[in-house]
Amino acid sequence: MSEKISVEAHEAYQRIHASEDFAQLKKSYFGFVVPLTIAFMAWYLLYVLLSNYAGGFMGHVLFGNINVALVFGLLQFVTTFGIAIWYALFAARRMDPIADRLRDEYEQEIER
Amino acid sequence: MSTTYGIVAVALVAVATLGIGAFGLRFSRTTSDFYVASRSVSPVWNSSAIGGEYLSAASFLGVAGLVLAYGADMLWYPIGWTTGYLMLLVFVAAPLRRSGAYTIPDFAQVRLQSVRVREVASVLVVAVGWLYLIPQFQGAGLTLRTVTGAPTWAGTVLVAVIVVINVVSGGMRSITFVQAFQYWLKLTALLIPVFFLLHAWSSDGRPSPVAPQDWFTPLGRTDATGLYLTYSVMIATFLGTMGLPHVVVRFYTNPDGRAARRTTLIVLALLGTFYLLPTIYGVLGRIYAGDLLAAGRTDTVVLELPSRMLGGSTGELLAALLTAGAFAAFLSTSSGLTMSIAGVLGQGLARSEQRPGRRLSTITALRLAAAGGILVPLVLALSAERISVANSVTFAFALAASTFCPLLVLGIWWRGLTAHGAIAGMIGGGLCAGIAPVLTIVWGPDGWLGVLMSQPAAWTVPIGFGLMIGVSLLTRDAVPGNVSRTMVRLHTPEHVDVERQD
Repeated sequence: MSEKISVEAHEAYQRIHASEDFAQLKKSYFGFVVPLTIAFMAWYLLYVLLSNYAGGFMGHVLFGNINVALVFGLLQFVTTFGIAIWYALFAARRMDPIADRLRDEYEQEIER
Repeated sequence: MSTTYGIVAVALVAVATLGIGAFGLRFSRTTSDFYVASRSVSPVWNSSAIGGEYLSAASFLGVAGLVLAYGADMLWYPIGWTTGYLMLLVFVAAPLRRSGAYTIPDFAQVRLQSVRVREVASVLVVAVGWLYLIPQFQGAGLTLRTVTGAPTWAGTVLVAVIVVINVVSGGMRSITFVQAFQYWLKLTALLIPVFFLLHAWSSDGRPSPVAPQDWFTPLGRTDATGLYLTYSVMIATFLGTMGLPHVVVRFYTNPDGRAARRTTLIVLALLGTFYLLPTIYGVLGRIYAGDLLAAGRTDTVVLELPSRMLGGSTGELLAALLTAGAFAAFLSTSSGLTMSIAGVLGQGLARSEQRPGRRLSTITALRLAAAGGILVPLVLALSAERISVANSVTFAFALAASTFCPLLVLGIWWRGLTAHGAIAGMIGGGLCAGIAPVLTIVWGPDGWLGVLMSQPAAWTVPIGFGLMIGVSLLTRDAVPGNVSRTMVRLHTPEHVDVERQD
């Protein structure tokens, strides 16, 4: 799977990798994803902890056959989807423009 | 339930599957068609297909069985499986698509420039796939026996034969159509009976459930083992999804990285909608079919509820619909797995035969690999002892989480990863996660050892990551020379790379 690559292209890659924009791209990614991942992991862990150690609270019947645990469980699905939409919007708005700019720079360099 | 309805339902699904596969065949011409459907599958089609393939027997039958047996905290499995897609979206979906490779072993080779890494990854893809196929095959046998009284091996063999025919004749292009159809079939099959069942429940003078109150409180096990088990399931399901070969290979059928992201979003919506339904079946099962628990047949609760609650021809028709859905679940997941196993084995075959003049075409290699690759799990499914569908699937997740998750996450986001590190991590994590199910099934240890072996992900995933990082740091000189180029390719839109071979 090793492919041939021109010297110019190789140098362009090296430059892009070292560039401010590429660093910015990865920085904005980590700045968003790391806190988000920690937050949603904490939210899932909370559910497990409550299930194990706060049975009374989780078993509290809200109405009919619906108790706190069930509502919590369904909320986990809702938040999972919410986080996914949030991330997709973030990626489209904040990461893709930088990536597009890098692409344009690269193409110009190769054409020159 | 009536045997005739059940047989008709299974036959219809089988015929529809083969028919749609044959329809897809008209479009399958090139190697790229066969392996990745020419990378031209739109997000809506693709996400339906992913939903169809991901919602396996464990989802269709297993979740309801777990809720019936253990209560509402078993929502953990579907939450974990859904969240696995979130992790996939956030960490690997777009970069993986941009890598331009066909399979995980391809990705490993491109990123680390090592044939050895490719070989280790290939062996693991096949191992995870086989581990995941066994419960599908066993579940098919169980379902067919429940509804038609046929011997258990009949359903198992039937599914295997249909899957091989489809993969061999049309490859990925056919499979995509088939699986998209099967998602909607599965959703319909669970959705329509739910209305009838809920109506029957509310009108039969039993507004409050007869289930014991403790079922509605999250029981779990309020000691340390319960907490460990839950966390371990979480780790396996969250991190395992990104390493399931049949899931990951689907991302290569997207046109580009952005489409990969959009696909994942739609998949999450489809999965979330779907998973609400088995939960309802589990709750109803607790009220109307508590005896299945004692009989150890919780996996059949979805199929048995209509005849118990409604009876008559309505009950029989709905049961037949559910049977059709369950059968679609076995077929679609098995097709995806067989496809990904065949993809990896086929590339190996085509490579070894590459001699001038006498070369096995890649499509022939894929076909041979599909037929051969399905034999081992088929034999194992027929001979091995049956364990609960959802449980055995978790072993496959744990194995994927301990090997491919570190490979993908570190490969995409850490330039320090070396081929030595990747190999050490995959072998170390893989051995640990592979020994655990063998010990559990063959020997079944008690106490903490048994607990640790029955849900190994919590300790095997750190081992996988630790070995990969540690050995990479020790072999720092071996970082591939072109790592900058690979990183740029992974993290910027595809057209950056004019040389990319698509």
